[in-house]
Amino acid sequence: MADFNVNLRGVGSVSVIDVKGYLDAHTAPELENVFNKLLDQRQFRVVVNFDELKYISSAGLGVFMAYVETMRENSGDIKFSNMKENVYNIFDLLGFPILYEFFKEEKEALQKFDSQG
Amino acid sequence: MQSRIKILTRSRGLENAIIVFILLFLLNLIFPQHDSLLLFIGNEILVFVTVYLSFNYASDFLNSKVDSPLSLVLNAGILAALIFFIISIVKALLGSQTSGNGFGFFNSLFSVLLNFVFIGATVYIFSTFRELSFLRQKKDPSTYFNTMLAFFGLSFISNLFLKFDPTFDYPKDSFYVVTIVLIFLNSLRVSWIAFLTKKQKYYLLIISVVLSILFGMDYAIVMESNIMREILFAFSPGLHTFISLVMIYGIINFGVIFFTTLFHLPTAEAFDRKADEVSSMMDLTKLVTQVFDFKELAETITTITTRVCNADSAWLVTKKDNNIELGSVRNIGFVDADRITNQLFGSGEKDYDTIEIVQYDIVNHTVKNHEQNFKSIAIAPLKVHGIVNGYLFAARQRDNNFDPDEKKAVQAFADYAAVALENAKLIEESIEKERLEKEFDVARDIQRKILPSTIPTSDQLQISALFVPAFEVGGDYYDFFELEDDRLGFVVADVSGKGISAAFIMAEVKGIFESLSKIISNPRELLINVNNILKGSLDKKNFVTAVYGVINKKTGIMNFARAGHTPVHICSSEKIERHQPAGIGLGLDYTAGFAASIKEMEIQLKNNDIVICYSDGIPEAKNKLEEDFGYDRLDSILTKNYSENLDRISNNIMQELTVFSQSHSQHDDITLVIFKWNQKK
Repeated sequence: MADFNVNLRGVGSVSVIDVKGYLDAHTAPELENVFNKLLDQRQFRVVVNFDELKYISSAGLGVFMAYVETMRENSGDIKFSNMKENVYNIFDLLGFPILYEFFKEEKEALQKFDSQG
Repeated sequence: MQSRIKILTRSRGLENAIIVFILLFLLNLIFPQHDSLLLFIGNEILVFVTVYLSFNYASDFLNSKVDSPLSLVLNAGILAALIFFIISIVKALLGSQTSGNGFGFFNSLFSVLLNFVFIGATVYIFSTFRELSFLRQKKDPSTYFNTMLAFFGLSFISNLFLKFDPTFDYPKDSFYVVTIVLIFLNSLRVSWIAFLTKKQKYYLLIISVVLSILFGMDYAIVMESNIMREILFAFSPGLHTFISLVMIYGIINFGVIFFTTLFHLPTAEAFDRKADEVSSMMDLTKLVTQVFDFKELAETITTITTRVCNADSAWLVTKKDNNIELGSVRNIGFVDADRITNQLFGSGEKDYDTIEIVQYDIVNHTVKNHEQNFKSIAIAPLKVHGIVNGYLFAARQRDNNFDPDEKKAVQAFADYAAVALENAKLIEESIEKERLEKEFDVARDIQRKILPSTIPTSDQLQISALFVPAFEVGGDYYDFFELEDDRLGFVVADVSGKGISAAFIMAEVKGIFESLSKIISNPRELLINVNNILKGSLDKKNFVTAVYGVINKKTGIMNFARAGHTPVHICSSEKIERHQPAGIGLGLDYTAGFAASIKEMEIQLKNNDIVICYSDGIPEAKNKLEEDFGYDRLDSILTKNYSENLDRISNNIMQELTVFSQSHSQHDDITLVIFKWNQKK
């Protein structure tokens, strides 16, 4: 069940996190580690690519909430891309689209960062 | 038949011996001199039987007392000394007299008693020799010994021939010689010496030489012509032969023991060490299974390592995620051990997968005066299932290196430590698991107490509420509040996260809803206020979804607002609708954005309309294809069961949900609250 993978790559000045599989209370710490690493490196512009994510639980959502404030304070942000419909529905139900930016493609999210300077 | 006689004589060994003793005693008191042939033969036979029976009894007695060989040797020595002492006294007191002139009663009494003491002492000595030659024998030595016994007997009896014809002495002499040869053969059975400790061997070396000489002196005294020999001879020539043979046995036996011990001395230390190793291993085996405290066991292991492997110091480190931690030290300070360990491992590239001996004086160039100056250090990994969990170090200051045996011993102790370490770890894990299970019990208990115990159902507004907890407690919560003007407030909420932390947040949320529901009747305003209060207590990563509504039982008007929660379904006879007014979850945003996002809804319920609120445990339940249960399945069940009573509807939903998700265990709480409004007629 707890089959989750996270990969970090840099695209220009933006860090892209690829999440894969099931993101729940058991696997959330793995994602937290990646975010902690980014904070250590003072990388505040983050795109999370959900292309291969199958499921997200409330604990998984909590990870983004825990870090978004720090990112924004340092003129960065966490943006989401490539989300499948069922995953998006969970974010939507909670009202995340009011607070976060969602993009169909990773490229668009990166462009958004670029245009912000 | 024979064996029965044997049992009979053995079982009553003492009684038999005493009876014969008394007979012999009476015979000799009545007939002090054995001039007639019949009397002589009768007396010889009685003496023989006495010696035989008392030997039987004495060897049984010694057999039952499993004594150490050294105390057996000492017993024999004391008796030999006693014999020497008695003979010397008798010689000194009666040396001038000849046996010819004193036939008084006291004289013969004294002579008989003296002979009895001799019989007792020699028989006991003889039995101890028997015990000694039987000790630690792999093969049964009784054939050899019994042959010797037979020749003892023959030598004894052959004295009878001398009585008939004093020149007819060659049978006796030849029996005598054969007996001595057999004595020698039996004396070679001294393998027990090997099992003595080094100290005991030195002790035995001295005792055996002293005893060999003592028996030699006894023999000389018995054989030379003096008063003692005459007394013995007058009593029974056979007994005299027997005693002299036992003395020869003593000389030969202790001579052999002396030389054997002498040859065993060089290997005594090695033998001691092996024995120590074996007993240490046995102790450790016991400890490994009994001691759960790893520290305690580590202490024992380092102590034993220094002792058995001739090391000056030993220490043990454990390794966890490449962090090395000192477990216990022996004859070395913690600081030194830590420093040397770090030195040996260098920058971390070196790992000792198998036992290695390091020449430390080559590795270490900077030895300060106050530090211990080790020459060689043995490093053994603590390995379980091929994973190294630590190391055992044994260090030496002397020049001589660890030999292969010592190396093996260090590794053996390291293996024990590895098993113990693994055990301790497993126990710790099981305790942790138990602790977590307890925590879940507490959380579940809190949750149960927070949920309402009674449901305010009425004719106008029927209510059914169902709650199914998951194994790992989630944070579902529902409640009802009776408000003024026949209105009913209700809340269904879900705290993110699981376990005891979720349960505590839930308790707080209950408190907030309960108090605010009495002050604020507008659902939107209420949720905004809840969010403001939660700001101070909710973790950044926690949030709460909720739907709060108020139903007017008289008019059927329902007002509700939603904060990130699942939609509210309203089912009437002709259609089913999902209402999802805008609103973000509580705790997601503490700015004005939250208030701006929340929209309130007002719905006029019609007669027999069904309203359902639930937690995400229902739509997010998955089947084996990883599909969600979703809203549509829920709606179709509702439509099908619209006219059923509420509990029935609730049951049917749960039933379908269970069938749908049977391949998955329920990983989230499920809450289902259903209302049905009946217009008052």
